[in-house]
Amino acid sequence: MDDSSFRESVRDWLAAHLPVELVGSGGPGREHELIAERLSWERTLGSAGWIGLGWPAADGGRGLPWRQQAIFYEEYARAGAPGRVGHIGEQLLGPTLLAFGTKEQKKRFLPGILAGTTMWCQGYSEPDAGSDLAGLRTRAAPGADGRWRVNGQKVWTSLAQVADWCFVLARTDASSSRHHGLSCLLVRMDQPGVTVRPIVQLTGTSEFNEVFFDDAVAEPGDVVGEPGDGWRVALGTLSVERGVSTFGQQLGFARELSAVLSAARSSGAASDPALAARLTDAWIELQVLRFTAESAFVDGASGVEPNIVKLLWASWHQRLGELAVDVLGPSASVCGPSYELSDAQRLFLFTRADTIYGGSNEIQRNIIAERGLGLPRG
Amino acid sequence: MIVVDTPEQAALRAALRDLLGRGLGAGAPAGTLWKRMTGELGLTGLAVPESHGGAGAGLAEIAVAVSETGRVLAPVPYLSTALAGYVLGYGEADAGDAGAPGEFLRGIADGSVRAAFAFAGPVIPAGALTVCGGRVSGVASNVLDGACADLFVVACDDSLWVVWAGDARVTPAGTLDQTRPQATAEFSSAEAVPVTGVSAAMAADLFRVLLAVESAGAAAHCLDVTVEYLRTRSQFGRALGTFQALRHRCADLAVEVASATATASAAVAGAADPGVLGPLAKKYCADVFWHVAAEMIQLHGGIGCTWEHEAHRYLKRAKTTQLVLGSPAELRRLVAARAGLF
Repeated sequence: MDDSSFRESVRDWLAAHLPVELVGSGGPGREHELIAERLSWERTLGSAGWIGLGWPAADGGRGLPWRQQAIFYEEYARAGAPGRVGHIGEQLLGPTLLAFGTKEQKKRFLPGILAGTTMWCQGYSEPDAGSDLAGLRTRAAPGADGRWRVNGQKVWTSLAQVADWCFVLARTDASSSRHHGLSCLLVRMDQPGVTVRPIVQLTGTSEFNEVFFDDAVAEPGDVVGEPGDGWRVALGTLSVERGVSTFGQQLGFARELSAVLSAARSSGAASDPALAARLTDAWIELQVLRFTAESAFVDGASGVEPNIVKLLWASWHQRLGELAVDVLGPSASVCGPSYELSDAQRLFLFTRADTIYGGSNEIQRNIIAERGLGLPRG
Repeated sequence: MIVVDTPEQAALRAALRDLLGRGLGAGAPAGTLWKRMTGELGLTGLAVPESHGGAGAGLAEIAVAVSETGRVLAPVPYLSTALAGYVLGYGEADAGDAGAPGEFLRGIADGSVRAAFAFAGPVIPAGALTVCGGRVSGVASNVLDGACADLFVVACDDSLWVVWAGDARVTPAGTLDQTRPQATAEFSSAEAVPVTGVSAAMAADLFRVLLAVESAGAAAHCLDVTVEYLRTRSQFGRALGTFQALRHRCADLAVEVASATATASAAVAGAADPGVLGPLAKKYCADVFWHVAAEMIQLHGGIGCTWEHEAHRYLKRAKTTQLVLGSPAELRRLVAARAGLF
């Protein structure tokens, strides 16, 4: 199918199937909204074949080129379809299993992701291992029955409250340190040894959680890659984070910017030359972001393009959040009696996290300097 | 829109980089590089129709050459001459035999004619250059590569005209950026030939697209040289490039260079309608070039402030590029107006 017929087919399907109450829900800063409805939406997407567009056909995907995947995300965002609850399974764990999983693991886990019936969360970060992931302390050891026992704490775990499974990076060799002796374990969330506690963020809402493992059980076969090879698996996961879905994200950005521009026009802020300059720069830089993201997918890319794109979008989005409240003036300093926030206030507050999660700006700069520019390590 | 070199463009890039790497830049006998670029490689004729002695290629091929001449600040009037070939040839394709500028194209293609663009101001004020009965009058200052031009492509309100340099009064200016001379061109009822198919505004926007390409190429060179210096220069017993404060600054510059390169390529790909992309790309890429060139000096320390080191030439080119054909503030307003933001 050519690109424009494909775009047409996505658009038609969304027009026919997207429930109106879900439009605009579940985006950044509102991941807690309408969870049950969005879980059902995942199943609708899955049964229509809209999950795993880029996965190989042999593994149940559709093997579509990146351009058509990008078109899907663009149309998805254009329609205002809700923030995905299944994106961690589809975009992180799935590709990790495709790269490192056994045949049996793929057979067991991929169909649930593709059908939109199995939700995943990612257990990497810990209280003492954020940017320095190799410092993690969660440990796993085989019990007398041969099954793994997992103990420790993870943090900033998106969607842990709805996830059926968590992929946990844990230390399986007690004598090891740093990036040696780690393993990637698949742990069922619905068991006595797993406790999820929501974290109240600066927005007053909770999208992230703490997850506690107290002798949580994982089956012997549920290790991705060899035991002890977890670091390589984790790096593989991190490298696919923020792939082609960035195109849908940018349409969301365009929608947010257009709301800020419209607010600036009605508040009169647009006639302030300093604010007009910032608004125009935001518009220019969004085009630049799109050009840069597209160039990251061409052959001959140097490998740090995802890091470059992350730095660009995170910083851009954060500045947009600042503009969103600046164009409103003092009215943006008041909110509802129970801390109900406007879209502008939520954007302003939530975007403080953009430059931290998924690899902070500082970590991205380290990677670009070392792997992109080849600067020597200290 | 994504742009990657076609095999032909990659070959062109390699051939030109090789030529420019052979010490034919600043300091070489005047004219040597120009002869090689035009005679040997036929670069000014890239976009000239084959019927007029050119290669019949397009702006994308010129852009490849401009990004390479930009990397080394080659002191040749390549950008304006090649663009004149494109602009005059563009009208030619539409006009067929009636296209009068055809007489200029053969000279542009073989390198015997050097061209410059005369714009009345950074964002073309109305009425500064006028045409009456096929004759052009008025003054254009800051004409890039104007001192050595054999012909001028003159923007009069919204039309383009070609005037031989012999019919203009040309006053060369001393320039901050010595790798690209400027002149003031004065026209007093000068005989002119109309250009069809390209408006004055479009010519200015295409010029901006190529300045963006050039800036991205030059900025990439500045970053390469700076990174290499930090890899090898040692202080406090270790390579400067091991200090995180400097590594992070280089990473930010790498983000800027990558985004400027992508933006310039997108502007070339969208050159059929350059009204927004032209000013947008020129503003963004010249700003990046300026920042990278300024950081190049700071990260080189004292040596970066010397006449001997190449850094100052890039700083001067970057600032000049920001100032001509629309300052960052002027272009920002132009983009906002053309994109209908307010």
